[in-house]
Amino acid sequence: MTISRLSFTFVSDLVRRETAMLYDPGKEYLVEARLLPLAREAGCTDVDAYVVTLQSDAGERAKVLDALTINETSWFRDNTPYQAFTEAMLPAMIAARAHTRHLSIWSAACSSGQEAYSLAMLLDQHLPSGWTAQILATDVSPKMLARVDAGRYSQVEMNRGLPATSLVTYFARAGSEWEVCDDLKRMVRTQHLNLSMPFGPLPRFDIVFIRNVLIYFDLDMKRDILRRVRQVISPDGFMLLGSAETTLDLDDHWDHEAHGRVQLHRPTGPAAFTTTFQPTALTGA
Amino acid sequence: MSLFLEPSLLDVQMVLEEVWTSFLGVEEPLLPRTPGDITVGWSAAVTVSGEWHGMVSVELPTHVAEDVTRRMLGLVDGLDVAADEDVADAVGELVNMIGGNVKSLMPGPSVLSLPVVAAGRVARPSDVVEVCRLDASWAGSPLVVSVHVQAKAA
Amino acid sequence: MHALIIDDSRAMRSILRRIVTDLGFDTLEAADGQEALDHLHAGRVPTLCLIDWNMPVMDGYTFITNVRANPAWRDITLMMVTTESEHGQIVRALAAGAHEYVIKPFTPDAIAEKLELLGLVAKAVPV
Repeated sequence: MTISRLSFTFVSDLVRRETAMLYDPGKEYLVEARLLPLAREAGCTDVDAYVVTLQSDAGERAKVLDALTINETSWFRDNTPYQAFTEAMLPAMIAARAHTRHLSIWSAACSSGQEAYSLAMLLDQHLPSGWTAQILATDVSPKMLARVDAGRYSQVEMNRGLPATSLVTYFARAGSEWEVCDDLKRMVRTQHLNLSMPFGPLPRFDIVFIRNVLIYFDLDMKRDILRRVRQVISPDGFMLLGSAETTLDLDDHWDHEAHGRVQLHRPTGPAAFTTTFQPTALTGA
Repeated sequence: MSLFLEPSLLDVQMVLEEVWTSFLGVEEPLLPRTPGDITVGWSAAVTVSGEWHGMVSVELPTHVAEDVTRRMLGLVDGLDVAADEDVADAVGELVNMIGGNVKSLMPGPSVLSLPVVAAGRVARPSDVVEVCRLDASWAGSPLVVSVHVQAKAA
Repeated sequence: MHALIIDDSRAMRSILRRIVTDLGFDTLEAADGQEALDHLHAGRVPTLCLIDWNMPVMDGYTFITNVRANPAWRDITLMMVTTESEHGQIVRALAAGAHEYVIKPFTPDAIAEKLELLGLVAKAVPV
């Protein structure tokens, strides 16, 4: 049983188009090994039959992309955004939210959750006692959201940028994996969300991390996403993009503040939000 | 009473895959293989003693052991020949990494021995039984990882 | 900057040597803790030690306690690189004075990111 050339071409084109990852001819056995479990799960007799279903089933296509995409997320990825979080965003928000003693944070396109839990660790270390925080982790992939909820990471993932002191403080062994502690899990809530569609009801966010995801959208969609983020961020809130992403030339409704080499974005003007008004968000402005 | 006496096959498989993809490249994945006899060219074992007692072994055909060695040492395939002492060293480090991670699957604390490596099969004590065996294939060649515990414990 | 790579496996030393050389370190090697201490006593004091736990003659844990007992060596950054991955073992190593801990198996990125955390390697890509 081997994957046909036609099926392989379809799958490698799909992966290249959606993720820019290349599966060259010669990798047929690898594609087959990764897709066979999905084919069986879907009730197909072989991988070729399964690939036929992909042409009409976006849900299965998403599973294929998950299976063939190597997840390269690390803890505290790029480091400096998290320094900016601790040194600039958090102190400003703690000053501004003294009346509610609560922070609301959005980790958009959260993938397997390292960003959300990295933020949760910093909140655990730096939030004054008596304060609470909620991190909403959203992603388009249900499989990724299930991983965030489980909070379990492989040995190889644990090595990626996580300080050893944080490892022993916040994680316990769970078989061949490590599992994040309940205190951090309680801080993180997951929700399915496709950034290219209307968001639906969301809380008002004080800080939004939306990193390394706008690059996947065209210019119009980038503008549309930023416009909709502006509707759910507090007037005095912060938004952080990936290092290769900027709101300059995209949208003049954002101010830019530099913290070291990191650009922090803040909404400008009074009418930032109109659709989901929450009175508590006003007083800190 | 069998609780915690042996690691789960799935966990051992995960350990092996992580060792393999980290040091031997993702382009040649490990695939599951129907259990069967293999011609053992090199093998290595570590023992774990403490809260849990067991022995973790890896068995490889000669050309797989040499290929593993070349990749770990960064030698050029087809150009550099892996010397026997290099093969012994690389196969020993392989079982050290697998064994250390298997140890962490089990109740601790326990102590990991230094690896014992042999051309051919490593001798096992007569009073141990196999509780976990993983047959895998790499680039079309077989390899086996197994876990043994003392017979009276099993 | 010098890195002293302490591991009884030549293959593992070779893997680590290639990684830290790419990150800009000159390397020294030792096959056990005693050989590593001999380097230090001879005045070859590195910026960074990468230390395996299980080795013949002197293990990595004992090496760390020896280094920490000598104030002249307090500037050395100590990073365990070992297959020892029990929670309690990591706690022990950190308490003895290890600054960081990498569990085998690891990818080259993992070593680079840990050295960034320790401030020994600058981030290559501007953020």
